[in-house]
Amino acid sequence: MSIAVKNITKRFDIHPALRDVSLDIEDGQLIALLGPSGSGKTTLLRVIAGLEFPDEQDGRILFQGRDVSDLSAYQRKAGFVFQHYALFNHMNVFENIAFSFRVLKRSQRPPESAIKERVAELLRAVQLEGYENRLPTQLSGGQRQRVAFARALANRPEVLLLDEPFGALDAKVRKDLRRWLREFHDSTKLTTIFVTHDQDEAFEVADRVVLIDKGSIQQTGTPAEVRNHPANAFVADFLGIKEA
Amino acid sequence: MPGATTLNLNNRQPLRATGDSATVRAVLIGSVVAFFILFLLLPLVVVFQEAFSKGLAAFLETFRDPYTRHSIILTLVIAVISVPLNTVFGIAAAWSVTRYRFKGRSLLITLIDLPLWVSPVIAGLLYVLVFGAKGWFGPWLREHEIRVIFAVPGMVLATIFVTFPFVARGLIPLMQAQGMKEEEAALTLGANGWQILMRITLPKIKWGLLYGIILCNARAMGEFGAVSVVSGHIRGKTNTMPLHIEILYNEYQFASAFAVASVLALLAIVTLILKTRAEWRAEQELRATRSAKTP
Repeated sequence: MSIAVKNITKRFDIHPALRDVSLDIEDGQLIALLGPSGSGKTTLLRVIAGLEFPDEQDGRILFQGRDVSDLSAYQRKAGFVFQHYALFNHMNVFENIAFSFRVLKRSQRPPESAIKERVAELLRAVQLEGYENRLPTQLSGGQRQRVAFARALANRPEVLLLDEPFGALDAKVRKDLRRWLREFHDSTKLTTIFVTHDQDEAFEVADRVVLIDKGSIQQTGTPAEVRNHPANAFVADFLGIKEA
Repeated sequence: MPGATTLNLNNRQPLRATGDSATVRAVLIGSVVAFFILFLLLPLVVVFQEAFSKGLAAFLETFRDPYTRHSIILTLVIAVISVPLNTVFGIAAAWSVTRYRFKGRSLLITLIDLPLWVSPVIAGLLYVLVFGAKGWFGPWLREHEIRVIFAVPGMVLATIFVTFPFVARGLIPLMQAQGMKEEEAALTLGANGWQILMRITLPKIKWGLLYGIILCNARAMGEFGAVSVVSGHIRGKTNTMPLHIEILYNEYQFASAFAVASVLALLAIVTLILKTRAEWRAEQELRATRSAKTP
């Protein structure tokens, strides 16, 4: 699903988090929002998900050309993965993943057998078969984040939004999950946006990188384009490249 | 003189890492235990001793008295009305101040505590001023033949006022510490507000909530001052257990007064046990969220 962000401005108190941001994302791409902390990248992701709403009326969010600006997060149903997993600690792994089916109206809810099958399929995809009855607190950080991925994917969202998904994990697990995400994206072509402050991560995983600073987009391009032709002093400085 | 001895020993002994000598520690702990026994435990023992001073039969006889029975029932009725209401108000208040940012938010947090620092008698008088015969709504209420003051509705209102803070106060720090990432996750998974409250938030806060409800209930059943002002002390009509105890005591029916008091004391002990348990589980609840945030 393609995503269009049009003229989004968002302030917290008086400090602007996003200033008139516009961005087009093609269907099937894996995009990294890259920038220092406080740059507004997470806010942009949350605005796309419907967890925050832009200040100005003319700010718009379009999913596949359809205006979703006035829909709340539960109507947009973008798959969302949080930095600190945000798993439901009082539910086991199975119920966490099945949650998006449990909240459906009875008439729309798939039968229990179909839910079971879907959860098993997802657990296979994230390599956690047999973990259905574990509680989140009994899992390692990497395992928890994989459950969070499975939960976000359960009801087949058309877009996947990841907020620093590897930020809380140690280096080895980080690398594995990074590779897993790239392979997963190659096999599904699910439009994916992930937020990171780590340029290696952005360049290794993403098709396109969006550099953000002080609430504005500084440059958009493939990793090679951005690296070889930094658009301005901020990009060059942030990436540690000497300007020609 | 114990004070002098302490000083002496203190000078002789080298200070430990905590900065207190063993003697200071012993004196401190000893005085706290002595205080506890003298002011808390002993009165509790006396209550039960006096209650049974004329034997078990006299003790049970107290509870055959229709006025005593009525006071117990009225106490329960008031608690059954005010505790659920304050549970709902408390959840709503805690939800509002922890989930939303709005003007006057910190004022609202302060106001939630208001009943704790206003004397209960003042609280009762406020209701008399508002709903009493000469109060704001007095004439209107009389026209419609609704009795609030010197009747059960006023006692319920006074109890709600006095017990309002307990649920909200227990929940606000817990909900603040837990944050709302799980709720946001549920939102992106298609859950609506009601589903989030029932399936995510309430399970997350259940022990903290129970802790607040237990305290709220204990205070509702034990409240004297505010209820006393609006009650009018009509035996068999507007007498709760604490008010009934006072009447019995003033009429020199000591054994009966202490018998009823022992029931309230027992309630306090049960509350303490339940509270300790709920408090412990609430801490576990908080620790679970914390550990979930570290890999």
